[in-house]
Amino acid sequence: MADMSFVNDFRTSLSENWKRVLIGVVSVVSFILIWYLVALRLHTSGSVKAQFLPYPQDVARALVDSFTRIDPVFGVLMPTLIENSLERIIIGFMLAFAVALPLGLLMGAVRTIEDIGRPIVEMIRPIPPIAWTPVFMFAFLSFWGPIAVVFIGAFFPILLNIIFGVRSVDPVLFDAARSLGARRRDLFTKVIIPSVVPYMMTGVKVGLGIAWMCIVAAELLPIKGSGLGNYIWTWADIGQFDKVYAAMIVIGILSILTTGIAELLERRIYKWMGMK
Amino acid sequence: MDKKGIIISVAVVAALIVAGIAVAYLYKPSKESTSVEYVVVAPSKMDAWLAANQTEAYIAWEPYVSSAVVGGNGRVLEWTNEIMPHHPCCVVVASNSFISSSNGLEMTQRFVKAHADATMWINDALAHPTGANYGKLLNISADFTQRSIAVVKEAFGHLEYGYLMNDSFKAALSTFTDTYRNDGFITNDTFHKAGYSSSADFVNDYVNMSYIDELSSVEPNATIINPTNAIRVGYLTGDLHQVAQAVARNETVLNGKSIFEEHGLNVVPALSQGYANGGTEMNAFIEGSVDIGYLGAPPAILNKINKNANTVIIAQANSEGSGIVVGVHSSIKTLEDLKGHIIATPGETSIQHLLLKTALKKVGLTLVKA
Repeated sequence: MADMSFVNDFRTSLSENWKRVLIGVVSVVSFILIWYLVALRLHTSGSVKAQFLPYPQDVARALVDSFTRIDPVFGVLMPTLIENSLERIIIGFMLAFAVALPLGLLMGAVRTIEDIGRPIVEMIRPIPPIAWTPVFMFAFLSFWGPIAVVFIGAFFPILLNIIFGVRSVDPVLFDAARSLGARRRDLFTKVIIPSVVPYMMTGVKVGLGIAWMCIVAAELLPIKGSGLGNYIWTWADIGQFDKVYAAMIVIGILSILTTGIAELLERRIYKWMGMK
Repeated sequence: MDKKGIIISVAVVAALIVAGIAVAYLYKPSKESTSVEYVVVAPSKMDAWLAANQTEAYIAWEPYVSSAVVGGNGRVLEWTNEIMPHHPCCVVVASNSFISSSNGLEMTQRFVKAHADATMWINDALAHPTGANYGKLLNISADFTQRSIAVVKEAFGHLEYGYLMNDSFKAALSTFTDTYRNDGFITNDTFHKAGYSSSADFVNDYVNMSYIDELSSVEPNATIINPTNAIRVGYLTGDLHQVAQAVARNETVLNGKSIFEEHGLNVVPALSQGYANGGTEMNAFIEGSVDIGYLGAPPAILNKINKNANTVIIAQANSEGSGIVVGVHSSIKTLEDLKGHIIATPGETSIQHLLLKTALKKVGLTLVKA
């Protein structure tokens, strides 16, 4: 009986997952079909805008070529460009996390520090990361410049989510911990930090997404060690938009992968901490 | 799994990731040892980059070559006329939409005449350095380029101004087109879809000689033909190659009247500060912000084919006038010495980049992105 129940549950689960997969596939195929039809309309009507929307099969070919043929401008294959962009994103993001985590915890837990930091945060936060690009590029030059842009993009989502997380800790938990003899350090490590983790991970995922957006702007200006953003700007300037779209697809996939890794990490952390 | 096990697992995974990155870094395929790496930098910033050791060399158009020389920061390794003697550089391009607009044909013809007159005025001024026009030219050029009189004086020594388009001009444009086709900047598919069978065929179609041919029949005209819809002229920021349009707009040249006004034209800059490079200006043509513009021949070619720009070349603006600059104390003495170094260029679609690639190829070097 127990086995039959398991089999039925498995069948139901499989059937539901297959449905979702099928819906997803149909959605993607429909999108590509619409893309093809719009491109066909533009190209056959002789529209001057046609070259800005290449056919999906041309983009697919450019994507494959970028991995299999040395690029005539960059002299490398796509994995090298991915590596260069990833390096900037990882360094920029890790720096943002390393600064935002302790600062967020402090600002969230100590009212005076928040009062000092909040006006400055609220002044700088609304400035789009892209607006910092020319400043950082000329101040920090070609290696640290793009990393600084990624840093500023990822920093504020992480910081603000952590502050919010600390502020959202149920006061009842503090009282309960204190009544059980918890000291200040225990309150921090055993009450605040576990409560902040979900908010921190939200900030991490948002920050990662913004970091990927920043890399294209960051790599617009002179850099050493070409990357995906640089590739997009260069081939757009030359006028081969199939390559531009191919690089955009690579960025999209990498963004999904990095966010997926963050979600996996989040689930592991929750499991480890015995959280839902 | 207990906490200790988790910590050990995380530590092992982290160690594997670090090891993986280290291996990938150590075994990263390096660029060919015969390569010269480049970064794209705006010419106005190249001198500063050289001084800050961000690059070991740069190639730019005047006055950005002479600004480093006069400033004592750089010396010229090679001029582009040593790479390709008398090579065409900047051209005058017109929007076909503008030409086919009301009075567009007439305005374009008068514009070319004004451009020719300005060019001849410049050449006459340069040929008579003790004359009053030479001083006017230096002032106009210094103002346009935002560089000192000393810099523009030095720069004029390396520039040729001309408006005619002869067979060697067209042959050079054909060579540029071939280079782009061979290097993959223009695919054969795109080229043939645009309706061209060869580079020469493309150039014959793209270069319109009729305005130059009709110059002798164009007389000055006191009546402004377009008082309310000014011709929007595009040019590159501070590019001394394109000073003819600044001369033609200047009212001191004809003592109270500009050359454009002399020919009955109302002309204004399409973008007051100028465009950063030819590619940007061609984008402005495509979106309809520029009627007639000055820019390098290569971006005019690339954008015509790759972006289907509805434009036509109506005159030449200048030839030569670019150079490769290295630090004044640099150990780089020859083109071969550039191997393994980083050079700044104005961009892949510039003529400077194209000529640099050509020059490096002759000495067995390749140009790749840094």
